[in-house]
Amino acid sequence: MERDIFLIGAGQTQFGERWNASLRNLMEEAITAALDDAPCTSLDVDIVVVSNMLAERVNSQAHLGALAASILPHHPPALRVESACASGAVALHTACSLLESGRAQNVLVVGVEKMTDTPSDEIAAALMGAADAEKDAPSGITFPGLFGLIAERYMHEYGLTREELSYVSTRHHERALKNPYAQFRKSVTSDQVSASPLVADPIRLLDCSPITDGAAACLLSTSCESSLKISASQLTSDTTSIADRTSITSFPATKDAAERAFEEATIQRSDVSVIELHDCFSIAALLSLEDLGFAEPGQGIELYKNPPADLQINGSGGLKACGHPVGATGIKQLIEVGRQLKQQKEQWGLAHNFGGAGVTCGVHILEHSIA
Amino acid sequence: MNDSPSIIARAQKKRHSRALCGTVLSHTIVRHPPAGFPKQPRCIGLIELEDGSRTLGAITGAKPIAIGQHVAPRMQLMKINNAGLRTYDIVYEPTVMQHAPLHEKQKVQGYILALTGPSGVGKSTVNLLLSQVIGDYAQHVPIITTRDPKKQDKNEYSYVSEQEFQDLKDQGLIIAATRIPSNTENRWYGYQAKDIERIWKQGKIPTVVTEMHLLKDLSHHYGRRSILSCGLLPPGQSRRAMLSQLLHRLRKRGRDSEASIRDRLRNAEQDLIFFDRRKDLFDHLIVNEDLDHVVSILKRCVRKLDKLSTVQKPKEAL
Repeated sequence: MERDIFLIGAGQTQFGERWNASLRNLMEEAITAALDDAPCTSLDVDIVVVSNMLAERVNSQAHLGALAASILPHHPPALRVESACASGAVALHTACSLLESGRAQNVLVVGVEKMTDTPSDEIAAALMGAADAEKDAPSGITFPGLFGLIAERYMHEYGLTREELSYVSTRHHERALKNPYAQFRKSVTSDQVSASPLVADPIRLLDCSPITDGAAACLLSTSCESSLKISASQLTSDTTSIADRTSITSFPATKDAAERAFEEATIQRSDVSVIELHDCFSIAALLSLEDLGFAEPGQGIELYKNPPADLQINGSGGLKACGHPVGATGIKQLIEVGRQLKQQKEQWGLAHNFGGAGVTCGVHILEHSIA
Repeated sequence: MNDSPSIIARAQKKRHSRALCGTVLSHTIVRHPPAGFPKQPRCIGLIELEDGSRTLGAITGAKPIAIGQHVAPRMQLMKINNAGLRTYDIVYEPTVMQHAPLHEKQKVQGYILALTGPSGVGKSTVNLLLSQVIGDYAQHVPIITTRDPKKQDKNEYSYVSEQEFQDLKDQGLIIAATRIPSNTENRWYGYQAKDIERIWKQGKIPTVVTEMHLLKDLSHHYGRRSILSCGLLPPGQSRRAMLSQLLHRLRKRGRDSEASIRDRLRNAEQDLIFFDRRKDLFDHLIVNEDLDHVVSILKRCVRKLDKLSTVQKPKEAL
């Protein structure tokens, strides 16, 4: 990083079906929480970066930058970024660039998605916008379908069984029990996962992250300091269609982003104690662990069967159990990593956020100064 | 999904490139297909097509699909939009025919340098220059033909009767064959496997100056990856401009009658369409504007292949 960038304030809404809250209400709630947590005031915000994927299509609301800026008393400049489910990581990366360039000293990053006002088939169609509209969509595939193809191939190549895959969601639900913001604070057994209805074979309902309302905000600063510093912010991309790849059981975008991030932070994988990774479907959690380099290819499931003592994976409950308000997810991951590092008094944490089927990937590394 | 007629029309233009047989790499059953598609569960596969490209496509039939299943394309009514527009698209049907296992087909025996271009683009000139520059590494593969010898032929042809040609073809000894029909000639041209394999044994790279059907056959027989394929195009911004450039060259060459030039031009137009449609069959498209430039590109290609072959082959074979 060109400058020391600190995470000085963080806040999020309850994730879930928030029938009483609008898109604007969700943003207000998260922004207020983040500013309350920060050592500066709302007037110190130089620019707002909004992360959101679907508002035009499902909330009939474009112009989200200005909408967010209007929540602050001085209406600072604002912009919105969209990179499907990776919008959050891209917003953070954009904020880091603004800070590194010196254009701003305090950037408010807010991610928001309001999904439950819209029927689920319409949401599914909108989410399909993350794939290739010309190459993928005409076949009639859905987003769970793309991960169905990935899971089927993965099981074929590595012999992963249905029972094993079900551990992933079980673990995520277990961890969400302790997260007050999580959408599903209840446990599910792996038998329940294996018996849930099929969505896109072999993906079942309880393999999928849910439709969620929620927002998360954080304040990044070069002028104020805190115990949490961003040590790496890396962004990569790949083909929008999985048909243009040589392999579908690994995402090169994740590998590349992880390599670069570890290099930028000058740390080893073994230094990391906390990760929040992108588990839009249970199979994605395994690919992510392998591509980030925490497990050998085909071995990701071992970290779910026998959770290691020195590495916390998706302590928030992940996208599966904490919820996946698309544009808010990347921001939530970063502030979760910060919260867990503080709580466990550990030094290094990593947030991994991708959009589409590993099309855009962002990896952020957070350093907690324990002293 | 937006079903506007313009989107459908654009998609249809590209459809032919997916009308190939292939092998299922993975599959899923989408239990709740998107709006506009039939409501029943929909089997969709990631399919590797014969040309090496991949596509997502619906798979028909009642039987469960397995990875590695061979499928063939066919047209099916996909959906009818609100305005009543019926959209047809390619779906894939499992076939009983067992395809050669993918990995075997992809085994590279050796490399071939192929130069393809419409008549009059300057293939022979380029080849002549090339053989002077890289004669040590590469050798021209003779074309076996049923046509009569001509005065200007160098030693690029071996001549057989039509009957002999058919016999060799039936025995599978000719692995690429094409008939060029026209008003002025109706001849067979082809390549024999033994000629290509002989050059490999000498440790050299077989070079073919060829046309689209022969290129397709070679690519089918030896696998697309065995061929470093260069397309040679006449200069020009549009197909029409390229054709008038060719016409100019053919007339300047003064070898052919006007009738034969008309034939050649018609074939050349097909060739240019082929370049557009089967981009996958070419590694490089080179515009023949400056001979030295073209030869230097090809020289680099041969050097690259030579290195690859040296790595592939045991020393004593060289």
